[in-house]
Amino acid sequence: MISVETGVTVQSVNVMTSDEGGLNTEQLTQLAMDKVINVADSAPPAIKDQAEAFRGSIENVLRHYIELARREERATIAYRMAKAGQKEMADLVRRI
Amino acid sequence: MAIAQAMCTSFKKELLEGVHNFKNSGGGTFKLALYAEGSGGKSSTTATLGATSTVFVTTGEVASSGTYTTGGGSLTRVDPTTSGTTGFTDFADLSFTTATITAMGALIYNSSASNKAVAVLDFTTNKTSTSGTFTIQFPTANASNAIIRIA
Repeated sequence: MISVETGVTVQSVNVMTSDEGGLNTEQLTQLAMDKVINVADSAPPAIKDQAEAFRGSIENVLRHYIELARREERATIAYRMAKAGQKEMADLVRRI
Repeated sequence: MAIAQAMCTSFKKELLEGVHNFKNSGGGTFKLALYAEGSGGKSSTTATLGATSTVFVTTGEVASSGTYTTGGGSLTRVDPTTSGTTGFTDFADLSFTTATITAMGALIYNSSASNKAVAVLDFTTNKTSTSGTFTIQFPTANASNAIIRIA
Protein backbone atom coordinates (compact mmCIF):
# COMPACT_ATOMS: atom_id res chain seq x y z
CA MET A 1 0.00 0.00 0.00
CA ILE A 2 1.25 3.48 -0.83
CA SER A 3 -0.12 6.37 1.20
CA VAL A 4 0.89 9.93 2.05
CA GLU A 5 -0.21 11.47 5.31
CA THR A 6 -0.54 15.23 5.56
CA GLY A 7 -2.40 17.80 7.62
CA VAL A 8 -4.38 20.88 6.68
CA THR A 9 -4.54 23.29 9.59
CA VAL A 10 -5.99 26.66 10.46
CA GLN A 11 -4.29 29.06 12.86
CA SER A 12 -5.92 31.49 15.30
CA VAL A 13 -6.27 35.17 14.47
CA ASN A 14 -5.73 38.20 16.65
CA VAL A 15 -8.70 40.55 17.08
CA MET A 16 -8.18 44.18 18.09
CA THR A 17 -11.12 46.50 18.75
CA SER A 18 -11.75 50.08 19.81
CA ASP A 19 -14.63 52.18 21.09
CA GLU A 20 -15.75 55.61 19.86
CA GLY A 21 -13.01 56.01 17.29
CA GLY A 22 -10.18 54.12 15.69
CA LEU A 23 -7.38 52.06 17.16
CA ASN A 24 -4.93 54.00 19.31
CA THR A 25 -1.19 54.25 18.80
CA GLU A 26 -0.41 51.48 21.27
CA GLN A 27 -2.80 49.06 19.54
CA LEU A 28 -1.36 49.87 16.11
CA THR A 29 2.14 49.38 17.48
CA GLN A 30 1.20 45.95 18.82
CA LEU A 31 -0.40 44.97 15.48
CA ALA A 32 2.77 45.96 13.67
CA MET A 33 5.07 44.26 16.17
CA ASP A 34 3.23 40.98 15.78
CA LYS A 35 4.20 41.06 12.11
CA VAL A 36 7.73 42.38 12.54
CA ILE A 37 9.31 39.96 14.99
CA ASN A 38 8.47 36.73 16.76
CA VAL A 39 10.66 35.40 19.54
CA ALA A 40 10.25 31.68 20.04
CA ASP A 41 9.92 30.45 23.62
CA SER A 42 12.25 27.64 22.67
CA ALA A 43 15.07 29.99 21.56
CA PRO A 44 18.38 29.68 23.50
CA PRO A 45 18.43 32.20 26.41
CA ALA A 46 21.25 34.34 25.01
CA ILE A 47 19.60 34.67 21.61
CA LYS A 48 16.19 35.18 23.22
CA ASP A 49 17.54 38.05 25.37
CA GLN A 50 19.08 39.76 22.35
CA ALA A 51 15.92 39.27 20.30
CA GLU A 52 13.75 40.68 23.11
CA ALA A 53 16.02 43.72 23.41
CA PHE A 54 15.86 44.25 19.64
CA ARG A 55 12.10 43.86 19.77
CA GLY A 56 11.85 46.53 22.48
CA SER A 57 13.98 48.91 20.45
CA ILE A 58 11.96 48.41 17.26
CA GLU A 59 8.73 48.81 19.25
CA ASN A 60 9.80 52.20 20.57
CA VAL A 61 10.76 53.43 17.10
CA LEU A 62 7.48 52.21 15.61
CA ARG A 63 5.39 53.77 18.41
CA HIS A 64 7.12 57.11 17.91
CA TYR A 65 6.61 57.20 14.15
CA ILE A 66 3.03 55.94 14.28
CA GLU A 67 2.24 58.74 16.74
CA LEU A 68 4.07 61.21 14.50
CA ALA A 69 2.17 60.00 11.42
CA ARG A 70 -1.17 60.41 13.20
CA ARG A 71 -0.27 63.92 14.34
CA GLU A 72 1.00 65.01 10.93
CA GLU A 73 -2.11 63.61 9.21
CA ARG A 74 -4.33 65.55 11.63
CA ALA A 75 -2.29 68.67 10.91
CA THR A 76 -2.86 68.27 7.17
CA ILE A 77 -6.59 67.64 7.63
CA ALA A 78 -6.92 70.62 9.97
CA TYR A 79 -5.07 72.83 7.49
CA ARG A 80 -7.34 71.75 4.62
CA MET A 81 -10.44 72.33 6.75
CA ALA A 82 -9.30 75.77 7.84
CA LYS A 83 -8.47 76.66 4.24
CA ALA A 84 -11.99 75.62 3.26
CA GLY A 85 -13.42 77.97 5.88
CA GLN A 86 -14.18 75.29 8.50
CA LYS A 87 -12.13 76.84 11.30
CA GLU A 88 -14.12 75.33 14.18
CA MET A 89 -13.86 71.85 12.67
CA ALA A 90 -10.17 72.41 12.06
CA ASP A 91 -9.65 73.28 15.74
CA LEU A 92 -11.61 70.19 16.74
CA VAL A 93 -9.34 67.97 14.65
CA ARG A 94 -6.22 69.70 15.89
CA ARG A 95 -7.22 69.06 19.54
CA ILE A 96 -7.72 65.28 19.10
CA MET B 1 -19.52 25.01 21.69
CA ALA B 2 -21.51 26.85 19.11
CA ILE B 3 -18.45 28.19 17.33
CA ALA B 4 -15.50 25.82 17.18
CA GLN B 5 -12.24 26.65 15.43
CA ALA B 6 -11.72 24.26 12.54
CA MET B 7 -10.66 23.76 8.98
CA CYS B 8 -13.92 22.76 7.35
CA THR B 9 -13.94 19.11 6.34
CA SER B 10 -15.70 19.91 3.07
CA PHE B 11 -12.86 22.33 2.26
CA LYS B 12 -10.28 19.54 2.52
CA LYS B 13 -12.20 17.56 -0.07
CA GLU B 14 -12.68 20.61 -2.27
CA LEU B 15 -8.93 21.27 -2.22
CA LEU B 16 -8.43 17.87 -3.85
CA GLU B 17 -11.10 18.74 -6.38
CA GLY B 18 -9.45 22.04 -7.32
CA VAL B 19 -12.41 24.13 -6.18
CA HIS B 20 -10.42 26.85 -4.42
CA ASN B 21 -7.72 29.14 -5.83
CA PHE B 22 -5.87 31.35 -3.36
CA LYS B 23 -3.50 33.00 -5.85
CA ASN B 24 -3.25 36.77 -5.60
CA SER B 25 -3.79 37.17 -9.31
CA GLY B 26 -6.79 35.37 -10.73
CA GLY B 27 -7.76 33.67 -7.48
CA GLY B 28 -11.24 33.43 -6.02
CA THR B 29 -12.95 36.01 -3.83
CA PHE B 30 -12.66 34.97 -0.21
CA LYS B 31 -14.71 36.70 2.43
CA LEU B 32 -14.75 36.82 6.20
CA ALA B 33 -18.10 37.03 7.97
CA LEU B 34 -18.49 37.71 11.71
CA TYR B 35 -20.75 35.67 14.00
CA ALA B 36 -22.23 35.96 17.46
CA GLU B 37 -23.24 33.41 20.03
CA GLY B 38 -26.15 33.55 22.46
CA SER B 39 -28.71 35.29 20.25
CA GLY B 40 -26.29 38.14 19.51
CA GLY B 41 -26.69 37.70 15.76
CA LYS B 42 -29.11 39.62 13.62
CA SER B 43 -32.73 38.68 14.26
CA SER B 44 -31.60 37.31 17.66
CA THR B 45 -29.93 34.25 16.15
CA THR B 46 -26.93 32.32 17.43
CA ALA B 47 -24.19 30.82 15.30
CA THR B 48 -23.31 27.15 15.03
CA LEU B 49 -20.05 26.79 13.14
CA GLY B 50 -17.34 24.15 13.07
CA ALA B 51 -15.67 21.43 11.04
CA THR B 52 -18.99 20.34 9.61
CA SER B 53 -19.77 23.80 8.17
CA THR B 54 -19.93 23.54 4.40
CA VAL B 55 -21.21 26.90 3.26
CA PHE B 56 -21.72 30.51 4.38
CA VAL B 57 -24.84 30.89 6.52
CA THR B 58 -26.68 33.96 7.75
CA THR B 59 -27.81 32.42 11.05
CA GLY B 60 -25.91 34.08 13.85
CA GLU B 61 -24.14 36.56 11.62
CA VAL B 62 -23.76 40.00 13.17
CA ALA B 63 -25.82 42.83 11.71
CA SER B 64 -24.44 45.45 9.35
CA SER B 65 -22.72 48.29 11.18
CA GLY B 66 -20.24 50.92 10.01
CA THR B 67 -18.23 49.47 7.15
CA TYR B 68 -19.32 45.91 8.02
CA THR B 69 -22.10 44.72 5.77
CA THR B 70 -23.80 41.36 6.10
CA GLY B 71 -21.94 38.74 4.12
CA GLY B 72 -18.70 40.06 5.54
CA GLY B 73 -15.65 41.77 4.10
CA SER B 74 -13.51 40.67 1.17
CA LEU B 75 -10.08 39.35 2.03
CA THR B 76 -6.94 40.36 0.15
CA ARG B 77 -5.16 37.18 -0.94
CA VAL B 78 -1.44 36.63 -0.57
CA ASP B 79 0.12 34.17 -3.02
CA PRO B 80 0.50 30.68 -1.56
CA THR B 81 4.10 29.68 -0.98
CA THR B 82 6.21 27.02 0.73
CA SER B 83 8.79 26.82 3.47
CA GLY B 84 10.50 23.51 4.02
CA THR B 85 7.85 20.88 3.44
CA THR B 86 4.91 23.11 4.38
CA GLY B 87 2.70 24.98 1.95
CA PHE B 88 0.75 27.95 3.23
CA THR B 89 -1.26 31.00 2.28
CA ASP B 90 -2.15 34.25 4.00
CA PHE B 91 -4.56 37.19 3.87
CA ALA B 92 -4.04 40.87 4.61
CA ASP B 93 -5.50 42.10 7.89
CA LEU B 94 -9.13 43.16 7.68
CA SER B 95 -10.71 46.14 9.48
CA PHE B 96 -14.26 47.37 9.85
CA THR B 97 -14.49 50.98 10.99
CA THR B 98 -17.12 53.07 12.81
CA ALA B 99 -18.76 49.75 13.65
CA THR B 100 -20.66 48.55 16.69
CA ILE B 101 -20.04 44.80 16.67
CA THR B 102 -19.88 41.98 19.17
CA ALA B 103 -18.54 38.79 17.62
CA MET B 104 -17.38 35.46 18.98
CA GLY B 105 -16.03 34.06 15.74
CA ALA B 106 -15.80 34.21 11.97
CA LEU B 107 -16.18 32.15 8.86
CA ILE B 108 -13.85 32.39 5.88
CA TYR B 109 -15.64 31.35 2.71
CA ASN B 110 -15.20 31.44 -1.03
CA SER B 111 -17.83 33.66 -2.62
CA SER B 112 -16.51 32.72 -6.08
CA ALA B 113 -17.38 29.08 -5.43
CA SER B 114 -21.00 29.11 -4.27
CA ASN B 115 -19.99 30.50 -0.84
CA LYS B 116 -18.26 27.25 0.11
CA ALA B 117 -16.80 27.32 3.64
CA VAL B 118 -13.03 27.32 4.19
CA ALA B 119 -12.37 27.71 7.90
CA VAL B 120 -14.07 28.65 11.15
CA LEU B 121 -12.26 31.03 13.51
CA ASP B 122 -13.13 31.00 17.21
CA PHE B 123 -12.21 34.22 19.02
CA THR B 124 -12.74 32.28 22.35
CA THR B 125 -14.24 35.39 23.97
CA ASN B 126 -16.63 38.04 22.71
CA LYS B 127 -14.80 40.83 20.91
CA THR B 128 -16.63 44.15 20.90
CA SER B 129 -16.21 47.47 19.14
CA THR B 130 -18.55 50.36 19.91
CA SER B 131 -18.62 52.98 17.18
CA GLY B 132 -15.03 51.98 16.62
CA THR B 133 -12.70 49.73 14.70
CA PHE B 134 -12.92 45.94 14.59
CA THR B 135 -9.65 44.54 13.22
CA ILE B 136 -8.83 40.92 12.41
CA GLN B 137 -5.09 40.38 12.24
CA PHE B 138 -3.89 37.24 10.53
CA PRO B 139 -0.88 35.44 11.97
CA THR B 140 2.61 35.73 10.54
CA ALA B 141 2.81 34.01 7.17
CA ASN B 142 5.30 31.24 7.80
CA ALA B 143 5.33 27.46 8.00
CA SER B 144 4.52 27.49 11.73
CA ASN B 145 1.92 30.23 11.99
CA ALA B 146 0.21 31.02 8.67
CA ILE B 147 -3.56 31.04 8.72
CA ILE B 148 -3.90 28.08 6.30
CA ARG B 149 -1.14 25.50 6.17
CA ILE B 150 -0.66 22.13 4.55
CA ALA B 151 2.15 20.30 6.32
